[in-house]
Amino acid sequence: MAVQIDKPPGQYQSGQAGPAASEKLGDPGWAWAAYQPDAWQPWNLAQAGHLFRRAAFGADWDQLQQALSDGPQRTIDKLLRPQANIAAFNREHDEYESSTASSTDSLRAWWLRRIIQTPHPLLEKMTLFWHSHFAANGAKVKNARLMQRHVQLLRSQALNSFRALLKAISRDPAVLIWLGAEANRKALPNENFARSLMEAFTLGAGHYTKKDVREAARAFTGWFVLRGQLRYISREHDGNVKQILGQKGNFTSDDVVRIVLEQPATSRTLVRKLYRWLICETAEPDPKLIAPLAQSFAKDYDVLKLVETMLRSNLFFSRVAYRRRIKCPVEFALGIVKGLEGVVSTTQLAQDLADLGQNLYSPPTVKGWTGGRHWINSATLVRRHNLAMALLRGSGPYANKLNPWAVAKKHGCSTPESAARFLLDLFLQGDLGPDVRDALLKKIQTPAAADGDDPAGTLRRFAHEIVTLPDFHLA
Amino acid sequence: MFCNNKPQKSMTLEKVALVLLLAVFAAQSTMAAQTLPPANQWIPQDAVISLELSQPKALLELFAGEKATAAVTALPVYQKQASTPQFKEFLNVIEFLEITLDTDWRTGLSKLTGGGITFAICPEDTLILIIDAEDEHMLEQTHEIFLNIARGEAEKQGQPNRVESTQYEDVTTWTFNGKEAHAIIGKRLVIANRPEGLKAVLELRANGASENLTSKATYQAAKRAAGPDSVATVFADLLILKNIPEIAGLLEQSSNSPLAALFFAGIVEAVRDSSWLALGLHIEDNTLLFRASVDGKTVAPTSPVAFALPSKVGDGALPNLSVPRRIAALSLYRDLHQFYAAKDDLFPERTSGLIFFENMMGIFFSGRDLTNEVLIETQPEIRLVVAEQEYDPAIGTPQIKFPAFAAIFRLRHPEQFKEVAEEAWQKAVGLINFTRGQQAMPGLIIDRPFQGKTKYTVAYFSTSGIEDKTNLDSRFNVRPALAMPGEYLILSSTDGLARDLIDALHQETEQTPKPLAGTHSLVEIEGGQLASILEANRKTLIRQNMVNKGNTQEQAESATDMLISLLKFLDRAKLGIGVHEGLTRFRLELKLNLQ
Repeated sequence: MAVQIDKPPGQYQSGQAGPAASEKLGDPGWAWAAYQPDAWQPWNLAQAGHLFRRAAFGADWDQLQQALSDGPQRTIDKLLRPQANIAAFNREHDEYESSTASSTDSLRAWWLRRIIQTPHPLLEKMTLFWHSHFAANGAKVKNARLMQRHVQLLRSQALNSFRALLKAISRDPAVLIWLGAEANRKALPNENFARSLMEAFTLGAGHYTKKDVREAARAFTGWFVLRGQLRYISREHDGNVKQILGQKGNFTSDDVVRIVLEQPATSRTLVRKLYRWLICETAEPDPKLIAPLAQSFAKDYDVLKLVETMLRSNLFFSRVAYRRRIKCPVEFALGIVKGLEGVVSTTQLAQDLADLGQNLYSPPTVKGWTGGRHWINSATLVRRHNLAMALLRGSGPYANKLNPWAVAKKHGCSTPESAARFLLDLFLQGDLGPDVRDALLKKIQTPAAADGDDPAGTLRRFAHEIVTLPDFHLA
Repeated sequence: MFCNNKPQKSMTLEKVALVLLLAVFAAQSTMAAQTLPPANQWIPQDAVISLELSQPKALLELFAGEKATAAVTALPVYQKQASTPQFKEFLNVIEFLEITLDTDWRTGLSKLTGGGITFAICPEDTLILIIDAEDEHMLEQTHEIFLNIARGEAEKQGQPNRVESTQYEDVTTWTFNGKEAHAIIGKRLVIANRPEGLKAVLELRANGASENLTSKATYQAAKRAAGPDSVATVFADLLILKNIPEIAGLLEQSSNSPLAALFFAGIVEAVRDSSWLALGLHIEDNTLLFRASVDGKTVAPTSPVAFALPSKVGDGALPNLSVPRRIAALSLYRDLHQFYAAKDDLFPERTSGLIFFENMMGIFFSGRDLTNEVLIETQPEIRLVVAEQEYDPAIGTPQIKFPAFAAIFRLRHPEQFKEVAEEAWQKAVGLINFTRGQQAMPGLIIDRPFQGKTKYTVAYFSTSGIEDKTNLDSRFNVRPALAMPGEYLILSSTDGLARDLIDALHQETEQTPKPLAGTHSLVEIEGGQLASILEANRKTLIRQNMVNKGNTQEQAESATDMLISLLKFLDRAKLGIGVHEGLTRFRLELKLNLQ
C-alpha cells in the first residue's frame, strides 16, 4: 500500500478554499496573517484535529470538543501558553527520570510517558524537533546522565531563545562527546563541533568555507569534557586572531555563536526547517514566503514567537498544510494512545518505535531523522500495522490499557455502530470519502462483526482498521 | 450523539458473584443422593494435565485458617484494598452468602469443597473442574443463588436467553453465559469452559466401563510415583506437552547456550526423555512439600551431560553456605573440566560470544589451556550465593541497591593454582581500568586486606570527592573481590560478601560438610530477605512499574507493595534436584511465614 500524501482532503472544507484564497497562498502578507474562520475556511473538527496533530501528538475527544467551542485562536493560546503548572509537572518527571536514569532505554520510556501526560504537548513537540536538529546520539555518548541533561536543556529552551539554546549546546558535554569534540587543544584544534555548528545547526551547506570551520575550531580550543564534565583549560586556548565568516578578531566560542547567528542564512535555514515540521514537508516553500519570518526571527531568535506566527497563520489552516506531513512513528503511535485516553507501557513502546526507525535519544545521523517519505516503506508499514494491532489488542505487552469501546461508551455511545462513527470522528475527523466510510461502517453492521457478546473486540478491530488507513499516517 | 457521559460502573454485585462462581463452585442437583465413582474416572483419557486435590481442607486450613487470615488482614496493602468500594462490595456479597446459607464463609467453603477438587486441561483448550461437596443441600442453595443473579444480569443486558438449562439424559445441564456449562450430580459439581467438556464428562459417567484418565498407563505410573498420602497430586502428559512449541523451544535452549547447558544439565535430558511428570503435595505445619518425578532414563556415565552426575555413591552437591542477609543460594555438582571437554557435543555452535570468552580466558590465564590447565583445577562442587548488601555510610550508598553475588569453587591443588587465579583476576581488573580510562572514566583501585588470616584482593571505585554520598551511581554496588581461603576460591561482586563467605567457609571446614548424596542441584531462596531488598528499592521498582506497565503511581505502588507482602509470606523456598532410585526427582519445600 502506498501512502498518497497529495490526495485532496475528504470532508475537510477549508482545504478547498475558493479561488481568491488559492491565489493568496503565495502572498506572504495573507499567508502569515492570523486565520479567521469564514465560510470558505470554517473552524470545524477537521481543523481542530489538524491543529492537535501538528502542535501536539493528537487529541482526545474532550480536547477536540473544547477546541471546537473555544475557536482556533483561543485553542492556540492554550497550546502555546497552557494554564497548568508546567514547571511542577516537568520537575516531577525530571525526578522520575533521575531516579531511573541508568540507561537511555529508561530515559526514552520516561520521555514517552511525559509526552502522553504533559499538559504542554507543544513543548514536547518542539523538544523532539530540537532533538532531531542537534541529533546527539546516546549510543555514542554512553552516559545516560549526560543525555538526560541534554534533553532537559532542549526542553528548557525549546520554546524560548534559540540564541541561548545554541550557546548552551556549544557547552553541552553530551553534544561534544557525540561529535568527538571532547578534547580541543591549541596544538590540534578539533573541527568536529565547528563543522556541525555551521552545517547542521545553523547556516547550512554552501554558506561557509573550510577555512571558516578551521578558524572557528581555533576559537573553541581550550574546551574539554573530562569525566563527563565540561572544563575550560585556558592554556589550551588559542588566543590569536581568527577570521570567521568575514569577521576578524581574537574570538572565543561565544563569539563564534554570535557570528553564525548574525548570518541571514541561519534564520532562513531554521525557519525552513520549522516550516517543514509544522506546516508542510511535501514542497519547499517559496523564498518570498520565508523571508518575512526569517527577518523577524533573526532579530531575537524567539522560537515561541516564530511558532506562534506559523500556528496562527492562514497558511497553517490552508490546504498547503493539511495532511501534508507523514507522521513520524512517535506521532503515529501517540495519536492512537492520546485518542484512546490511555497510558501504555512506554518501555515497550520505545522499543517498538525504535524498530519503526525512531529510536529516541539515538537519532541515526548528524542530520537527525530525515522524516517525510523516509518513514514509510514496505517494512515499516507492516511494523506500523503490527504496532497498532499490539496497542489495540487488549492483551500482550500493552495489556488492556487502550479500549476503544470503553472510550466510546464514556462519550455516550451505546451501540457498536455509534461507537464506530465516534472512532472515525476521533481519529480521522471525517476525512474519509463517503465510499470508504460506508464500506467501513458496513463491516460493523454485519452479523459476523457482532462477535458474539463482545463489542469491545469488534471495536478493537475497527479501530485498527481506521488507524492503518493511509489517511491516519498523515499529520 | 456523544454528549451523554455515562459514569463507568464499578464492579457490580452480580459480577462479583459470577467471578466467585467460576472460582469456586455452583450448580443445581437434579438427582437424589447417590454414590459416585472417584472424580478422576470422569476425566477424559486425553487429559494433558490433571490436578487432584484429595484433601482440600488441609489447604483451606493453611491458606484460609484463622492464622493465615489474621496475617493477611494485618497487611497494610490489604487494609488499603479493603477500603476501596469494589472490595466493600465484594465483602457485601460474602456477607449475603453467609446469611443466606446460614454459615460463615470458611465453613461454607469447607462444606462445598470438602469432598475433593479435580481439575483437568484437555485438548482444544478444554478445562474441566469437578468439585465434590460435603453438603448437597448447601450446594443446591448456592447454585440457586448464582442462578438468580445470572438471570438478573442477563435480563439487565437484554439477553434473558443467555441463562438456560438443557436435559442430557437424566442430568440437567446449565449455562450462565452460553459458553461455560455445568451440572450437579448428587454432591458433585462439574464445570467445563465449553459444552463439549461437560458432554465428555457426562458420557464417561454414563459408560462407566469406558476408558478414562485412570485407565491410562502413564497416569497409573505417575500416581504410583506421587504416592498415596498426598494432599494433592498432579499428572502431566509430557509426550503431548513436549510438542508445544514454547516447551520444545525451552528444551532445545540448552544446546544453544553454554550457561543453560551447564545449569540445566541432567534436568533437560530427563524431561526430554520422559513420558510423564508426577507431583505430590504434602503439608507439614506451615510447610508445603512438593515431590515431583519424571520417568526418563537417568543419564549414562558416557553421556556428554555426565558432568552433572555425582560420580560415586554418596557424592553430590554440598549444602549451601549460610551468610548474613542471604537472599538466595545455589549449590551444584558440575565437573567443569568434563563439561568444557564435551563442549562440541553440548553446544556445538561456535558463537562469537564463546570465541571472545575463550580469547579473554587465554589472556587472563597467560595462554594456559582453559580445559586442561584451568578448569581441571576445580572440583565439581560449585556454590553461588546472593545476599543483600550492607553499605558503609562513610563510603556511600547507591541510589539503586543491587544484591551482592559470589561464586565459590573448590580447588584440586589450591597451593599451585592460587597465584594463577590472582594474576588472572588482577589482569581482568587492569583491563577494566584501561578501557574505562580510554573513556575518561574513573577506574578501580586495588587493595589487599585481611579477613582473619585470609588475605584477599578487592578493587573499588573511590567516593572521595563526591559530596552527596547517599545517592551514588549503580557502579558503587560493585567492589569485586577475590579470596582463596583453604581449598576454596571465592569470586565475589563485593568485598563484604567475600568476607562473610571466608567466615562461613572456615566454619564449614571445622564441621566437615557432608555432600547431599545424589543431589546435583540445590536452590534456596529466603522470602523475607528478597522482600527486604525489594523494599530497599521500592521507589525504583514503582517507577519501573509505571513505565513498564503504563500504570499510575498509585497502581504501581499497589502492585509493588503486593509483591513485597506476598514475598514476606514466604519464609524459605528450597528446591533440590537429583537422581534417586533410578528416577530424576525434584523436591520443593515452601515454608510459609504466617506470623
